[in-house]
Amino acid sequence: MANGTETVAAPVDEDVPVRRLARRDRWLGLASFAAMLVVWFAITGSGLWPPLVSATFLPSPVAVAKTFWSLANKGYQGHTLLHHFLISLMRFGIAFTFCVAVGVPVGLLMGMHSGVRAVLDPPIETTRPIPKLALLPLFIIWFGIGELSKTIVIIAAVFPLISISAMQAVRAVSLRKIQAAQSLGASRRTIFWRVLLPASLPGIFTGLRVSVGIGVTMLVGAEMVATSDGVAWMALTAADFVQTDVVLVGVLIMAALGYGLDQLFRALEHRVVHWTGKD
Amino acid sequence: MAIRSLDLASPARRSDAKLLIDGASKRFGSGANAVLALKPIDLAIGAGEFLAIVGPSGCGKSTLLNIVAGFETPTSGRALLDGNTIGAPGPERGVVFQQGALFTWMSVLDNVAFGPRALGRGVAEARAIAERYIELVGLSGFANHFPYQLSGGMQQRVGIARALANEPEVLLMDEPFAALDQQTREILQEEIRAIWRRTRKTILWITHSIEEALFIATHVVVMTARPGRIKAAFACDFSRDSDPLVTTTAAFSEAKRTIVALLRQESLEAQRQEAAV
Repeated sequence: MANGTETVAAPVDEDVPVRRLARRDRWLGLASFAAMLVVWFAITGSGLWPPLVSATFLPSPVAVAKTFWSLANKGYQGHTLLHHFLISLMRFGIAFTFCVAVGVPVGLLMGMHSGVRAVLDPPIETTRPIPKLALLPLFIIWFGIGELSKTIVIIAAVFPLISISAMQAVRAVSLRKIQAAQSLGASRRTIFWRVLLPASLPGIFTGLRVSVGIGVTMLVGAEMVATSDGVAWMALTAADFVQTDVVLVGVLIMAALGYGLDQLFRALEHRVVHWTGKD
Repeated sequence: MAIRSLDLASPARRSDAKLLIDGASKRFGSGANAVLALKPIDLAIGAGEFLAIVGPSGCGKSTLLNIVAGFETPTSGRALLDGNTIGAPGPERGVVFQQGALFTWMSVLDNVAFGPRALGRGVAEARAIAERYIELVGLSGFANHFPYQLSGGMQQRVGIARALANEPEVLLMDEPFAALDQQTREILQEEIRAIWRRTRKTILWITHSIEEALFIATHVVVMTARPGRIKAAFACDFSRDSDPLVTTTAAFSEAKRTIVALLRQESLEAQRQEAAV
């Protein structure tokens, strides 16, 4: 991009000391992760020395890896591991997609139109303090024991977060930018698509990233009741039989799912809203 | 002396005004909390004039600009462009803000092309117009940069190019250089003079800098502390002098002294008001 000859404020990532610090911190992060793994190896013995805790309580990483391999090949309780993973991902994906597709427009409308806000604010605000997982039994009565009640309990938790962050994002758009667009002759339509929406995107993305974590948590809760597949269901069922290695495989898959989704949204954020915080 | 006191709302000036402020006042809030920001103002600005308004902070000078821009509705009176009452923002009145009004998510080129696009021109045509104005403000080579990659002075150049790209009849500038350092400000002041000489736009310029007002404007209005009204108005010749060192002449100092004396009383009054709150 730098095709000019005058001096331009250097973007931060071209700053050498900053980059060196970032590299150091990445190594520190990796070292911290490795240390946790080493502790796990050490206290479980890993077949090299007698374990400090019983394998029933904490199987060694090697045992967990072996269990993962066997589950991946033979499946668990009639379904392949891939099936369990995909069904969990689908439950999360459908609920989250609905929340983005409906929650973001609803939030934007609430932010731009005081009438819409007056109508929608009370239901969202009054139900916000209710832990949504507590509503799951009610949802099962209303929507049955199928996929619908599981999807709805995730939506119930994530939708308010996404719509409120979109509302706050659009309300925080600086009046000057809107006035600038007005005095350049922009129509209301143009102002929405080219000013309000892009200016709200950084705030919307922050809401999405927070919601990913909450959504995965709700997924675990939703698979606790009236299910026969899914990664969280597998872990919970295995716990009944004290199959700690299977439980750990489930937990690690859920952790990887949460981490992977967060990284995905982080990368999207970096690409789509590169101007975040640089006003 | 190179400034002459004059009545900017004389019948002769009113009758051939490009921009006329006709008894416009502004009150914010209502009841006991109401604040009178602006007493009724009468001001006639002729085509091609460069009028600077100086006043103490909080005197309502930005409110006056907002009324002309169509961002605020006056409580009484009105503002007119070519005899038509101003009721809303419009592309015939380009606005340059102090800072933070650029579209952060667009390149310099897209920022400047925004106005022509909004007025219905095609992408290629809008870009060609934008490139011309980017060159005019000396930013060729930065068209594909984003605002956050530019210095404060360069960002203001983008703001000026963006306002000019619609070829507005009137330019409204609300302390556009107030956030810049002294050296950058001086360079941009010279450039805005050059742009004004070239384009002969009608310009309404809000500033708190007396020196800036005298250096760039053909007319200088001094406002009182809140509630703002016009305390004095002058025609001034320094902007016609192409030498940037005109600010060091005795005549300039003399003119500055006259206005400083007027403004000092008002600034003291503004401070007294603030302390009383």
